[in-house]
Amino acid sequence: MVQHIYQLVRKEVQLEWRQKTALGTIFIYVLGTTFLVYLIFQGNITIPTWIALFWIIALFTTVNAASKSFIKDANEQFYYLRSMASPVEIILSKIIYNALLITVLALVIYGVMVLFFNENIADKKLFLLTIVLGSIGFSNLFTLLSAITARTQNFALLAILGFPIILPLLLLIVKMSGLSDFAIQEKDIYLHLGAIALLDVITLLLAVVLFPFIWQD
Amino acid sequence: MNMKKHWWKLLSILLLLYTLVMGFLGPIPGLNILEQSIRNLYFHVPMWFSMMFLMLMSMIYSIRYLHRQKVEDDVKAHSYAIVGFVFGLLGIITGSIWARVTWGAWWVFQEVKLNGAAAALLVYAAYFILRGSFEDEEKRARYGAVYSIFAFVMYMVLINVIPRITNSSLHPGNGGNPGFNSYDLDSDLRMVFYPAVIGWVLLSVWMTTLLVRIKQVFRKKHQLDLE
Repeated sequence: MVQHIYQLVRKEVQLEWRQKTALGTIFIYVLGTTFLVYLIFQGNITIPTWIALFWIIALFTTVNAASKSFIKDANEQFYYLRSMASPVEIILSKIIYNALLITVLALVIYGVMVLFFNENIADKKLFLLTIVLGSIGFSNLFTLLSAITARTQNFALLAILGFPIILPLLLLIVKMSGLSDFAIQEKDIYLHLGAIALLDVITLLLAVVLFPFIWQD
Repeated sequence: MNMKKHWWKLLSILLLLYTLVMGFLGPIPGLNILEQSIRNLYFHVPMWFSMMFLMLMSMIYSIRYLHRQKVEDDVKAHSYAIVGFVFGLLGIITGSIWARVTWGAWWVFQEVKLNGAAAALLVYAAYFILRGSFEDEEKRARYGAVYSIFAFVMYMVLINVIPRITNSSLHPGNGGNPGFNSYDLDSDLRMVFYPAVIGWVLLSVWMTTLLVRIKQVFRKKHQLDLE
């Protein structure tokens, strides 16, 4: 099973690398959005605004990146993939790949934001940990939802389905980001990190349990 | 009428009549700020209990649908979500009026429960849109069921877990506000509050069973038309 998942993730990476336009699109999207925000805010913002903008850009980028993750597989390659791997292997490989992609994109956004705004979080290690945990949660949720929306023609559907559902996680992440800049009590940090990790586990379990019902004709 | 089967509907009517009479005329603790508005307790809070109960039923029928693939389960899951959504709207409206009277604004940002409730309504609105996006009945039911299960779990996290962690609620019993339990005249309130909750929940289930029957009649008619 681990071998299968590894192969599937490799397949995703190779396919993505081969179509450099798709990868380029998402990176330019990140750069363009951040630059736009920089110009709109005229270059100076406070840390809370910085954090809010960071996660808004990250969220929209995630929706964009995740929306195409099942388009091909659910339509053209559906029967082939179904005969090759079990649904659990497929969803896990997709989640791992998307989590990697979202983490990289979030790091790019982080770099660009620091470059433009000259503002930075006090505790960078803690913020990076928040980015990684947040990206995993984003990936769990939006991978499953993109599987649901892949067979509809409604392209706004992923955002409609995802935004209210991501809210618990997003609220915790934003709070956690604030704490990584300025925390009064260490207890708060562990509480929030624990809650985010727990949500990651819950969403992962739900995705793995529910995906086999979507991965049918 | 078969009383063995329908006694709970009668009970619902009696409890709600009691709630209306005692709710508006019964004794209340004369509290600062809350004053007479505390009577809204019998109407606002049961809306959320009803919504939570109906959404729970909707999730249970969704799981049952995925398990047995019977259309009736999907009709029930959908109907419970619709009536639950209506009760959620009523909860928001009654809450907003209450907030205007006691907190001074229709909508208060610091109130995580309020924002959570609004998000919950968005989640279920998205559920209806999702169902509308599928032409095929079987697919609509299956994908809707998957989303509904996911939605309910996140809704529970949003309503019950997040407010406790972020700890910034203006509701009684949160963030240093005294809960209703600490009011010494609470027995008067409870005498009406508990019957009110049961009455409203029963009424909401009754409404759902009616909706299910209407839907089933339409399905049957549709099938006869096809033949």
